[in-house]
Amino acid sequence: MTDQAAAKAAAVGSFQSSLSLALSLLTNPLAIVVMLSLAVGLLMVVLFGYTSDQKAIGIAKDQLKAHLLAVRLYRDQIPVVMGSYGKILRGTGRYLKLAFKPLLYVVIPITLLIVEVDRYLGATPIPANTPFLLTAHISGSDANDATLQLPAEITMTAPPVHIVADNEIVWRLLGTKEGKYEVKVAAGGQIAEKTVCVGSDLPRISTVRMRGHFWQRVFTSAEPALTENSPIESISINYPDRDIAITGYGMNWIWLFFILSMVAGFIFKELLGIKI
Amino acid sequence: MLGLCAAGLILFVSCERARGGTFASRKMIILGVDGLDPDLLAKFMADGKMPNFAKLEAKGSFRRLTTSIPPQSPVAWSNVITGMNAGGHGIFDFIHRDPKTFQLYFSTSRVEGPKHTLTLGNWVVPLGSGTAEQLRYGKAFWEILDEHGVPNYVYRMPANFPPITAKGESLSGMGTPDLRGTYGTFTFYTDDPTAAVGAVEGGEVVQVEVKNNRVATNLIGPDNTFRKNAAPATEPFTVDVDPLEPVARVDVEDHQFVLKEGEWSGWIPVEFELMPVIGNVKGICRFYLKQAHPRFQLYVSPINIDPKNPALPISTPTSYSRDLAKEIGEFHTQGIAEDTKALTDGVLDDKEFLEQSHTVLAEHRRAFDVEFPKFHEGLFFFYFSSLDLNAHMMWRLTDPQSPAYDAALAAQNGGALEEFYEQIDQVLGEVLTKIDNNTTLLVLSDHGFAPYRHSFNLNTWLLNNGYITRKAGANGDSSEPFADVDWSRTRTYGLGLNGLYLNIRGREREGIVEPGAQADALLQEIREKLLAVRDPKDGSQVITRIDFASEVYQGPYAHSGPDALVGYNRGYRAGWKTILGAFPPEVLEDNTNAWSGDHCMDYTKVPGVLLSNRKIEAQTPALTDIAPTILAEFGIAKTTDMKGHSLFQAR
Repeated sequence: MTDQAAAKAAAVGSFQSSLSLALSLLTNPLAIVVMLSLAVGLLMVVLFGYTSDQKAIGIAKDQLKAHLLAVRLYRDQIPVVMGSYGKILRGTGRYLKLAFKPLLYVVIPITLLIVEVDRYLGATPIPANTPFLLTAHISGSDANDATLQLPAEITMTAPPVHIVADNEIVWRLLGTKEGKYEVKVAAGGQIAEKTVCVGSDLPRISTVRMRGHFWQRVFTSAEPALTENSPIESISINYPDRDIAITGYGMNWIWLFFILSMVAGFIFKELLGIKI
Repeated sequence: MLGLCAAGLILFVSCERARGGTFASRKMIILGVDGLDPDLLAKFMADGKMPNFAKLEAKGSFRRLTTSIPPQSPVAWSNVITGMNAGGHGIFDFIHRDPKTFQLYFSTSRVEGPKHTLTLGNWVVPLGSGTAEQLRYGKAFWEILDEHGVPNYVYRMPANFPPITAKGESLSGMGTPDLRGTYGTFTFYTDDPTAAVGAVEGGEVVQVEVKNNRVATNLIGPDNTFRKNAAPATEPFTVDVDPLEPVARVDVEDHQFVLKEGEWSGWIPVEFELMPVIGNVKGICRFYLKQAHPRFQLYVSPINIDPKNPALPISTPTSYSRDLAKEIGEFHTQGIAEDTKALTDGVLDDKEFLEQSHTVLAEHRRAFDVEFPKFHEGLFFFYFSSLDLNAHMMWRLTDPQSPAYDAALAAQNGGALEEFYEQIDQVLGEVLTKIDNNTTLLVLSDHGFAPYRHSFNLNTWLLNNGYITRKAGANGDSSEPFADVDWSRTRTYGLGLNGLYLNIRGREREGIVEPGAQADALLQEIREKLLAVRDPKDGSQVITRIDFASEVYQGPYAHSGPDALVGYNRGYRAGWKTILGAFPPEVLEDNTNAWSGDHCMDYTKVPGVLLSNRKIEAQTPALTDIAPTILAEFGIAKTTDMKGHSLFQAR
């Protein structure tokens, strides 16, 4: 590993540790989303302010407003209106160009943040004594001979279902005690582990462990990649989606986050005098 | 002067306190146990199986409760709700007819689409919203309690769909449709080539193909009225069957679950798209893998209205069904939750039906365990359906004279009904621990039970006796209501479980019987003849009572129902086909159906049950006494149209 890669890994590691620490201080998902949205709203505005040409953006927006006003004032003069529409189009393009670079600075860290937070808030652990499915994709004929090794706290409640057409085996399992457990899938002489979270708290959940597909892994898995030469391609668990209750209705945290962070962003923009 | 003012003030305050004390401290608990039979109850009490009922009887009273005419649940519970008979509340049967069109409809509610629509190609765009309308008339006792500020809770009261506006929490019961708008339509998927595919009574059989151990098929949802042809909306799902083991994975929308052969799933939410973006309806259903190999057999329950996202109003406030579902999990919302049709169609066997029935009762008990501890004032009404539906289906296992009796099955499940009775006793035990001196407890049933061994086909009898005339070449087996009837030569017809109607001029579309003397004479003639009908096998009287509407009904709707009510002897009931206006070839048939116990008979032969922790003064209490009793308990005078009296007042 190069020094740069090591530094990057350390930075990612410390970021995850800090986030884990921060999240562990809060156990209410709604409170987490609200605080996170406020923080991200502020961060987005500040970052945008620092990375954008505020003067140019101000001019671009003023010009857009002027052209819009022209459309209203001279609506009985078709050539002026048409000319203003053209200028509005050009002005919008100029504005988007000015906003693109700072948006890149904002979007990349926020995307990574969302991916990480989703591991905590996107799904709930399997409730104790509730059946769940563990699905393994196994290449070739090894699927027929795949077996499962379980800790004492996890039991199998039905024979596995072999889905030959999809190279899948599905086990129905049940966790009898809250905790984090490792189950082992053995196939083709290789063994792969998968973490199972049973309980009701706010653990970091990985719904799937897989091999290959780097970007897919980054966005969907929170576990190390499976060995490349293993016949086991992926192991997944059908964790229930987590809904955050707002006035009696449940919604995925991400919708709430988008709404609240936008609102926060608009408020902070005004307070800090940053043009967006 | 000051002294006078002080005295007045003291009097005012004490009066207010006294009034407040009456309302605030009185409590009333009613357990409505559909079909709780006095004879069975007495027997189980004598056997020591119902210790809490025995305790209640020892402390208070146990009476036979005169049921409604006819003794059918929607009628009986409407009597309870309004304190009136069918002439007042307008519910005469499960099924009513429009005399002008002879269209049949459910008696208690009507769900209609929007009045105005716009057709665009194959799409029908609604211009307004549809309506769900309750067809029962008269004020419900909890409406009156609301008006007087008495808190109330009403769980699954029959004949209350959509639930009437109420201040308290209430959940609709019997009469609530499934998502398809029926009283419950199951679906049975099989690859058996010999299976009779298509609609069966209460369900639908769908032929599927198991290809590479996978079944790809559709859930059948409500008719899509957004489409021109109103074909049912569907939702695809797949089942992957293990090649060797009797186990399968079901994949529906974003839900996956594994079922072993003989296992039930929990409630699975499903969503049917009626129109992209704007028109989706949500329901819930359960899956049962009856067989994986060698034949694939999968039962899917009727799709119930999702209590968390109800497509139709099922509770007050509307959020209540969602709140309850959060506390106890998803539950049956369909009015008649026990799938009796799946058992009679042979899709479920006795064991499977009983498993499903136990799930229903377990849901009721979970709801009870959540709601009863919250009860501190006013009225608490809680309804149980299990004894009724299980008596209907399991009676044959306790009745060797039943044509449907099977000794082997009786040995396996003959005690099933008794187990349900014992569970109700356990619920009563929970209630008894909370009774104080200010609490009045009533345990009541709408009717009792009797064996249903033989079917009497009233319309066939009327046909054979010249009261109905059919057109030449009429198909005897047609199941269409009144198919090929020559109304210009038909004087009377049977409809519903007990209804006998005259073809009255001016009321029916092609009425020929003059109201008044001619109608009265015709009814007398038919009464005499029907009472004389004997079972050729043993000479038993088949019909023991005919009540004329003019004699037994009072109120504004007394003349909108049947003209006479046929009261069958114990052991007899109207046949399934005749109640919908068909003409089976035989007048009397053995009932070999699993539905082997019933109560739609002579009302004097199937009384209900009434128990209280207080002394019941009324010697022959009736269902219509319940509403006046409730009101009297809270110091409220009964309304003028109520027929009954308080049970606790000497008459």
